[in-house]
Amino acid sequence: MHDNEKELSQEESLMIIQQMINAAKHEQKDDGKGWIAWGWMLFIASILTVVNLHFKWFSTFFFWNIFGAVTLVMMIVGVVKGFFVKSKGRVKTYTKSLFEKLNAGFFICIMFNIFAMNLGVGPAKGFALLIGLYGFWILIYGTALDFRPSVIASFITWTFGFIALFQTDFEVVMLLHAAAVLFGYIIPGYIANREFKKLTGRKLNQSAGV
Amino acid sequence: MFKELDPILHSQLRLAVMSLLMSVKEAEFTFIREKTNSTAGNLSVQVQKLKESGYIDVNKQFKDNYPLTTCKVTPKGIEAFENYVKALQEYLQVGK
Repeated sequence: MHDNEKELSQEESLMIIQQMINAAKHEQKDDGKGWIAWGWMLFIASILTVVNLHFKWFSTFFFWNIFGAVTLVMMIVGVVKGFFVKSKGRVKTYTKSLFEKLNAGFFICIMFNIFAMNLGVGPAKGFALLIGLYGFWILIYGTALDFRPSVIASFITWTFGFIALFQTDFEVVMLLHAAAVLFGYIIPGYIANREFKKLTGRKLNQSAGV
Repeated sequence: MFKELDPILHSQLRLAVMSLLMSVKEAEFTFIREKTNSTAGNLSVQVQKLKESGYIDVNKQFKDNYPLTTCKVTPKGIEAFENYVKALQEYLQVGK
């Protein structure tokens, strides 16, 4: 846009507004990598716990303790990076601000749940409630990004969570937990990643004039 | 009677900047320049005009020894933009 004082027609004005709104919309796309990583971590911890319950290698929550330690290290690395490494984000969208608060609230709720499990709620019911919490996070994230697979995934996740509520066998709860994260995080994450790659590929082609 | 289109907004680059800032919370100067496909000099002049009109807030600071300019739309800017779009809609409806 070079001619800044050029007389605009009403149609041209409308076109500029539309173009810029679309340009801003592209900034709100998620590459899905976070969902994939988080989903696989939860999935592996669930499946290893099931295997561990069968073979009785370690204590029941051995793999969940490892998961907790890894998550804690990743969170500390993330916070330190946020303080010391130059941010690439040249734009702050309303969606990004919402996600920051949503993620903070989500982790606080997870902590509540973990405390509740240790204070008598029990692991079987506790994990069922956690699945319910995942569903809530997935629904808000999917709605804010206007990403239909996540919206559908949230209801699938809740279904697994609801079934888990009635299970007393922790092994079954772990299998339901694994299924919930597979449908709630991993599959939508890969779909989001594929769409993101398509979008960035299109943008690169456009800027190269292809 | 038609509302007169706001002359501050009725300019190609200023309208693009305002439309972009309306869709985000705040944006860096380099981001706006990239999205509007404008030159730094031209954009700088138009950003200054929008700032003088009270439509946007411009925050200049240094990050890692580099100047960092961020812009965000003000409540006055939001009102002006909404009025501009309303006026535009009236023109377009009559033109149909």
